[in-house]
Amino acid sequence: MILEALMAAAFVGALTVFLAPDEWAGRLAFAISLIPFVGSLYLWSGFEAGGNALLGGEIAYATQIEWLEVGGRSVSWFVGLDGISLPLFVLTTFLVPLAILSAWTPVDARQSQFYGLMLFMEANLLGVFAALDFFLWFVFWEAVLVPMYFLIGIWGGPRRKYAAIKFFVYTNAASLLMFIGFMSLVFALGDSVSSFALPEIAQAIAAGDLGTWFGIPPDRVAMVAFLAMFLGFAVKVPIVPFHTWLPDAHVQAPTPASVLLAGVLLKMGTYALLRFNFTMLPEQASMLAIPIAAIAVISVIYGAMLALAQKDLKRIVAYSSVSSMGYVILGLVVFTEYGIGGATFQMVAHGLISGLMFMAVGVIYNATHTRMVGDMAGMADRMPVTVGILVAGAFGYMGLPLMAGFAGEFFIFVGSLSAPALPYAPVFTALAMFGIVIVAGYLLSAMQSTLFGPFELETDYEVGPAAFHDVAPLAVLLVAIIVLGVAPDIFFEMIRDAAVPVVEGVTIDG
Amino acid sequence: MVNAFAYVPAIVLLPFFSFLVALGAGRYLPKGGAFGGIAATAGSFLLSVWVAATVAGGRAYDETLYYWASEGGAGIGPTDIELTFGVLIDPLSALMLVIVTLVALLVHVFSLGYMNDEGETGLPRYYAGLGLFTASMLGFVVADNLLMAFMFFELVGLCSYLLIGFHFREPGPPSAAKKAFLVTRFGDYFFLVGVVAVFATFGTAQFAGPESFPALADAALNGSGSVAWTPGGLDLGTWLTVVGLLVLGGVVGKSAQFPLHTWLPDAMEGPTPVSALIHAATMVAAGVYLVARMYGFYVLTPTTMAVIAFVGGFTALFAATMGVVKDELKQVLAYSTISQYGYMMLALGAGGYVAAVFHLTTHAFFKALLFLGAGSVIIAMHHNEDMWDMGGLKSKMPVTYYTFLAGSLALAGIFPFAGFWSKDEILYEALVHGLNDPLLLGGYLMGLLAVPVTAFYTFRMVFLTFHGEPRSDTARDPESVRWNVKGPLTVLGSLAVVTGLINMVPVQKVLGLEGIDLLHRWLDNEWGGIEGLSSHHYADIGPYSSAYLVGGEVGTVLVGAAVSLGLALLGLGLAWRLYNVPSPTEHTAKLGGIKDVLYNNYYLDELQVWLAYRTEDVAGGANTFDQGIIDGVVNGVSSVSLTGGGRIRKLQSGVVSQYAALLTFGLVALLLVLGATGGWFL
Repeated sequence: MILEALMAAAFVGALTVFLAPDEWAGRLAFAISLIPFVGSLYLWSGFEAGGNALLGGEIAYATQIEWLEVGGRSVSWFVGLDGISLPLFVLTTFLVPLAILSAWTPVDARQSQFYGLMLFMEANLLGVFAALDFFLWFVFWEAVLVPMYFLIGIWGGPRRKYAAIKFFVYTNAASLLMFIGFMSLVFALGDSVSSFALPEIAQAIAAGDLGTWFGIPPDRVAMVAFLAMFLGFAVKVPIVPFHTWLPDAHVQAPTPASVLLAGVLLKMGTYALLRFNFTMLPEQASMLAIPIAAIAVISVIYGAMLALAQKDLKRIVAYSSVSSMGYVILGLVVFTEYGIGGATFQMVAHGLISGLMFMAVGVIYNATHTRMVGDMAGMADRMPVTVGILVAGAFGYMGLPLMAGFAGEFFIFVGSLSAPALPYAPVFTALAMFGIVIVAGYLLSAMQSTLFGPFELETDYEVGPAAFHDVAPLAVLLVAIIVLGVAPDIFFEMIRDAAVPVVEGVTIDG
Repeated sequence: MVNAFAYVPAIVLLPFFSFLVALGAGRYLPKGGAFGGIAATAGSFLLSVWVAATVAGGRAYDETLYYWASEGGAGIGPTDIELTFGVLIDPLSALMLVIVTLVALLVHVFSLGYMNDEGETGLPRYYAGLGLFTASMLGFVVADNLLMAFMFFELVGLCSYLLIGFHFREPGPPSAAKKAFLVTRFGDYFFLVGVVAVFATFGTAQFAGPESFPALADAALNGSGSVAWTPGGLDLGTWLTVVGLLVLGGVVGKSAQFPLHTWLPDAMEGPTPVSALIHAATMVAAGVYLVARMYGFYVLTPTTMAVIAFVGGFTALFAATMGVVKDELKQVLAYSTISQYGYMMLALGAGGYVAAVFHLTTHAFFKALLFLGAGSVIIAMHHNEDMWDMGGLKSKMPVTYYTFLAGSLALAGIFPFAGFWSKDEILYEALVHGLNDPLLLGGYLMGLLAVPVTAFYTFRMVFLTFHGEPRSDTARDPESVRWNVKGPLTVLGSLAVVTGLINMVPVQKVLGLEGIDLLHRWLDNEWGGIEGLSSHHYADIGPYSSAYLVGGEVGTVLVGAAVSLGLALLGLGLAWRLYNVPSPTEHTAKLGGIKDVLYNNYYLDELQVWLAYRTEDVAGGANTFDQGIIDGVVNGVSSVSLTGGGRIRKLQSGVVSQYAALLTFGLVALLLVLGATGGWFL
């Protein structure tokens, strides 16, 4: 029941903060958000890897309680963790307190509502990573959108409503597609499954229980379901060409929302791709390996080129997320231990690094009220610590060794170059790897023109160092990024354990 | 008995701690953390000497110390791999440890004079950078596998960025720092693909032992083994050549070889002691060291060897020509660095493993000397680096002059200074192997042509700086330098004179004396070492055979040495004639249009800038496409589906609470439906 307790803590915390007065909503929310974090550390310390939750592995901290029945199949409150979901669960509980801290300075209106929504979002995010029943998962999945919608729509920038509606409508339409795709799988399984429990469904598909549905042969059903779910999740990730909601949402979103959006919400997409598409339908995935790898490479290079063209620091980081998520897709589609494990690791690494980048850009924005390259220069002179950490984070983003991003990317590259499941794997890998040059190009250029050189900024006030509670979360994130880069096995070991059964789902000819 | 090898990690970690201390507490420490750095590098130096002595005592060390990821192995498709950190101590790495720690120590001491005494701000950041730089390089040197080497190689790149951009409040240094990282990153891209390819092909990236990738490659080419994977359709020899060239990309970037050398002259924006460290013992040396480290792999593929030799020979000549027309002291030295590393590459490509390491050693000392000497001049000149404003400094700063002269004689390859011996051996190796190999002979000829050019620009620099009449007020009354500048200069000056003694091969060959080719014996594991990592082994599996000119081996030695020494003296003499006069003039103007080409570095920088702008244009185009077409379609679809823009505007003009109500309603409805069908309310 620990999982439930942590989610309940966030949920009850959300209600409490919502009712609390604005003056101490921020501090209260921070204190409450530490409960799930400490709890998740406890979960982590007691975690013993036991395979993949969907493919017959041992599920840690599992609870399964029958809830209701839909269409003759039972829906249950079914939560639990395995080596793939635990790191993301910990990532979420780790990022939320830091994101709340980063809100203290910029958020000055309707604080109790703001922090309440942050905690409400946390509760749902935890639900997404812990849920093992499709309906339960779907409720959390959809419910995440609501607080994010309000966070962007109320506390966002000038075009917040456009961005919020675009975000909401786009991802919701995608969810519909995904829902239809998954449901067609369930129906095609017929009587072989009696519930919406994801492990049962995944194992039934693996056992070959997919049947003919309305005269459509099982292979066809699986392929259609794969495509529908892939498109649905592709929007969330986002994969080119479904990415255009992301920069708009990021630019308009307040910093703490950006942190969670890039840090955790995008990972919902890749996590779901891994759980549904690549775990349940590996045959279809390897049939489509070439187009998927092509999309991954395009996301990496095209996203990086777009980032190169931007003048708004937040847009740069936003587009670079598109690029980084391309690596994750490449890691998934190659079906090797390092590939899939590296993709999962990269989700965590990118969550930390992009969180750090958005937060640091936010701290600078608090002081400058501009994010545009060209409006400011030489910020290192006025905010040395913030800039120092931002530079370190940027190098993390470029994949500097001994930081988390390098580990994730290297695992993916080494797992994909010689992957038997992907034809032309060396070509795809080498092309995608060129992203590490472009990312250095745009981040170094942006840093050179904004952070270095003689100080320039038109203000009618003195620009000085940021407050301690602004810088502290940056430092904490940086330390986490370095720890994970020096000792990636603290997560990678359990991830591998859960990734192996997925890899074994693909049979390779010859 | 206490084992020196157990302390190898401490060699790396001591400077790392000095980084942490300087970063965290430097502002509270005297001299901004300098003493911590000095103590740490001194400690590392002593430990390195101890390690080298242990190797001389007949032992070596190859040990995995840390499982970075996947202990027990995880799958990459063809095979399972582990990613580890370990330490490899053999004669090569032991020698390099001593060089790096010694130069780093001297640079730290010199920094007291160059940075502290000159009242620079940001000293803790400076010493933190130096510490991390040294630690990264040492980690790279002791690495026992290619992945670990890559990781520290990249950290070296980071440190160069931080230190070249040290004066971040000025516009120039941040730009130079960016260029340095970006150009070397471009090379490192190929290196990283190469690392991944090595893992895929062999399942390991270890440098040493029977299960190392060079050994596996050798066995597979012999037919006595096989590799785990080659990409579809490629035969093994071709693939290994490709892998070798990929890794070479990183070498070309870091060791500033054509065409990725352009970052290095710009890197002169960094403080001068940093330049000394970068050029002599750390970043630029890393590339060449890497080739030497995995030499057993490179010698297996003749094409790669030829490419290395040709690129090296070409770079040696190409960079030397640009050094001729530069006006700033450090610029001349920068191009000389590129050129000298070209010689090392030529040696490696020509099968002269020992010659390359020899030149790496002598160059480390005389180039560190020249940079620190230049730093001393720059202090004296109040940070004016233009040689045309100098002149006549000889009598005012004798210690700097005589040590700088020793370094210059070494650089120019004048008998009997260190550089003569090492450069001579490189040219000898290229010649005897090149007589059977036209491509290699081309490399030799370019290297030979570079000799007089090198001597010319070196002594043009010496004469303009120290001889003649002072040409400015500062030159008439230069600032004096203290012990912390003169001390390191004296140490390095002595080394520039005597380092050649470690490898008296020509003397041995001509006089028939045995045993004075110490470096040859050292690198041939005569005292201690690891099987498969010896110069003999490399020669055995390498592609080259020797041929001699008239007079056999001895004749070739004598002719080769005479020709290169003659050419060097020719260049020196020309410089003497033109520039060793009271009031020299810019003779380079006589070169006409050629001078412009040389002065503008053959317009290669412009080419790279042009490429960067074109990339930005493409990015801009992509952005227009993205905003206009892709996002346009998205917005278009959504407005059609909501029957026209009017309704959207109405929606958007609504108050947020309406959406709240809508959403809450939707959720409640969903729950109600679920509840009703599930029988919640019954």
